Amino acid sequence: MTSIGTGYDLANSIFSPDGRNFQVEYAVKAVENGGTSIGIRCKDGVVLAVEKVITSKLLKQGANKRIATVDRHLGVVYSGMIPDGRHFIDRARDEARSWRDTFKNPIPTADLASRMGGYMQAYTLYQSVRPFGITAIVGGWDSELESGVDGEVGRGPSVGAGGKTPGKKYGGPFLYMIEPSGLYWGYYGAATGKGRQAAKAELEKLDLSADGESSLTLEEAVKEAARIIYVAHDDNKDKDFELEMSWISGADGPTKGFHQEVPKALREEAERLAKKSLEDEDEEEEKKEDDKMEE
Amino acid sequence: MEFGNSGSLSEDGIHVDMDRLKKGEVNLGTSIMAVTFKDGVILGADSRTTTGAYIANRVTDKLTRVHDTIWCCRSGSAADTQAVADIVQYQLSLFAMTNGKPPTTQTAASIFQEICYSNKDRLSAGLIIAGWDERYGGQVYSIPLGGSLHKQSYAIGGSGSTYIYGFCDSNWKEGMEEADAVNFVKEALKEAIKWDGSSGGVIRMVVLTGKGADRHLYLPDTDYKVRHT
Amino acid sequence: MDHRPQAWGRPRDDVYGAYDGSYLQSGGPKTATQSPVVTGTSVVAIKYKDGVVIAADNLASYGSLARFTDVKRLRVFLGTSVVGFGGDVSDMQWLDRHLNELAIDESYDDEPSPSSLLSASPNKGHGKLNAANLHVYLQKLMYRRRNDFDPLWNQLLIAGLDAAGKPHLSSVDLRGTAFTSPSLATGFGAALAQPIMRRHAPTEEAAAALTREEAVGVVQECMKVLYYRDARSLDRYSIAVVTKEGVELKEDEQLERQSWAFAERIKGYGTQTV
Repeated sequence: MTSIGTGYDLANSIFSPDGRNFQVEYAVKAVENGGTSIGIRCKDGVVLAVEKVITSKLLKQGANKRIATVDRHLGVVYSGMIPDGRHFIDRARDEARSWRDTFKNPIPTADLASRMGGYMQAYTLYQSVRPFGITAIVGGWDSELESGVDGEVGRGPSVGAGGKTPGKKYGGPFLYMIEPSGLYWGYYGAATGKGRQAAKAELEKLDLSADGESSLTLEEAVKEAARIIYVAHDDNKDKDFELEMSWISGADGPTKGFHQEVPKALREEAERLAKKSLEDEDEEEEKKEDDKMEE
Repeated sequence: MEFGNSGSLSEDGIHVDMDRLKKGEVNLGTSIMAVTFKDGVILGADSRTTTGAYIANRVTDKLTRVHDTIWCCRSGSAADTQAVADIVQYQLSLFAMTNGKPPTTQTAASIFQEICYSNKDRLSAGLIIAGWDERYGGQVYSIPLGGSLHKQSYAIGGSGSTYIYGFCDSNWKEGMEEADAVNFVKEALKEAIKWDGSSGGVIRMVVLTGKGADRHLYLPDTDYKVRHT
Repeated sequence: MDHRPQAWGRPRDDVYGAYDGSYLQSGGPKTATQSPVVTGTSVVAIKYKDGVVIAADNLASYGSLARFTDVKRLRVFLGTSVVGFGGDVSDMQWLDRHLNELAIDESYDDEPSPSSLLSASPNKGHGKLNAANLHVYLQKLMYRRRNDFDPLWNQLLIAGLDAAGKPHLSSVDLRGTAFTSPSLATGFGAALAQPIMRRHAPTEEAAAALTREEAVGVVQECMKVLYYRDARSLDRYSIAVVTKEGVELKEDEQLERQSWAFAERIKGYGTQTV
């Protein structure tokens, strides 16, 4: 995308003659400069990870988190302009809250993605605004349990409700990615930011396929996520970074349906493995080169 | 707005429905109930509407549809409960359209409760919400006067309900067959109609299951024995 | 000039006759104040060495009608505190949702908590609001609502730990009145349960000497007396023990060791012996 707007890029509300909105395309450029973010949806949860680029040695380690909790069961990570991302999260929290206020239930991940997609799209329509300079990855776990109404008292029949359709499963892990245009899809694995190409190539190698039947476990996904962020960082080697990761499991998993930061011990273990895997690869390559030398 | 001050909630808690009415307002004296059973829920009601001792309508339908398989039983002021049900019906149809899936009974109960709670000093509405949906099966929620929300395996309401607390508690069984549940509702409402002057007329029921909504009607002149429609 | 502000701008009585105020509303001042409809009765709680024991029965009354018998009036906040509700159930549900939203606000802040007392909670590392903070918050909330002439018709007990990890027990009522004490009870419990609890924990020092078993025993005794003497009570109740390990909540307990057999010796009401 190297074309120049020739006047059609001065405002949102103007299409170019060949049907493009240049402002949106420029916003995508802003995303492509940001640290890599990824999301993995596996059978028993969702993992979010981000390559947090350290812009100054004066910043406190581990502070200024990039992954945010939107509701108990929902997390968001994004690549691109950080203030835009912060505003995105504020709005997502408002949406989640207003859903709770009306329906007295947690917002399903799909509905949050839909509302936020609509919100971002609205920023591509008007002269007075610019599009969001972020691509956001929304991860969530919709409860697989029977949830009542927030604050309800009393119980139904002790034998359980009658007339349920047997054998059907509900809830589970969900992952969406929303782009500056407002476009969003549901994904098995999602990546955005500077290292997205490398990250996507790695994600495609994972077994994330059929619904809920992927062989990857949540803990494995955490380790893969760490490794993928390290792989993706290769393109950005001159800058320091911190790995930030969060996860969401079902009610019987480690986070009990809550979106939480991955515990320090597990994150460090995942990082150790990620570094080792990169070193092994380097060694292999060196070996190959050595072989060549010998020939 | 003037309320009567003859009712004493702390003494009997029963006739408060009458005293909360505005002057000259039509009252659903009423016996209403909803029960869960093996395949879903059943709603039941008498058909008497009174203004004072005069029966303004003897064939009232107090069972109101707010979505395909989510219905409510109305007691208290006819005007208030109709207005509330209309709002909820609108909200639920909007929900179904915007979210592309039918609302659950919880959704309906939430919207009902919000209206009843935030307008508690203006409304006299005692509602029972009963619904069936694919995920949660049959469920019953009760929203009494103050606007609190109670999940129950069965609920009774209205002035006639006070006469059948004993009957219902003794005869209630969870997970009944449809025929037994219909019979339970019918026998309970027969007692309520018998002892409560503000309840009477026909017995209406709606059975909500995976197959949809099925109406029953029983008439007093055949001792509520024969099912019409 | 008439110096009374009430008379300013009004036609003079001596010229036009007395002012006719009949078109003004005659029903007195506008009131947003409601009264409770579906209500819960007492909540009782006592501090002990490592925490607080709190209990409330499972009844929601409708006047004298025992209408709902499975209403849980102890609500857990952030897995670290318990709020016990007496009074209106619809307002209790409003407060419960409000506290739920407050807990979500807390989880926005992902900084792990410096305090280790949250280790047992599913929100591990999230909540920083302890019971003492919650008490202040609820007092402000209740007082504000009473100033809006739209009070939340409840009496609350807050059980948990303070910032120092010491047991915390406090109350707030519908006017925003706040207390802390080694033992507390709302409603009928203030008259019937407090004297019993004060016998065991007259001072903070005495409460700090109580064991968990003793504290649970005292609370169970109070629930029994309340069931004997409170006509709006039930023999099924919820009881929670709050410590730094978290909250242990049991919601369907049955009152045990009741004493009724002595009724056999009671014959007539005075001189009668058969």
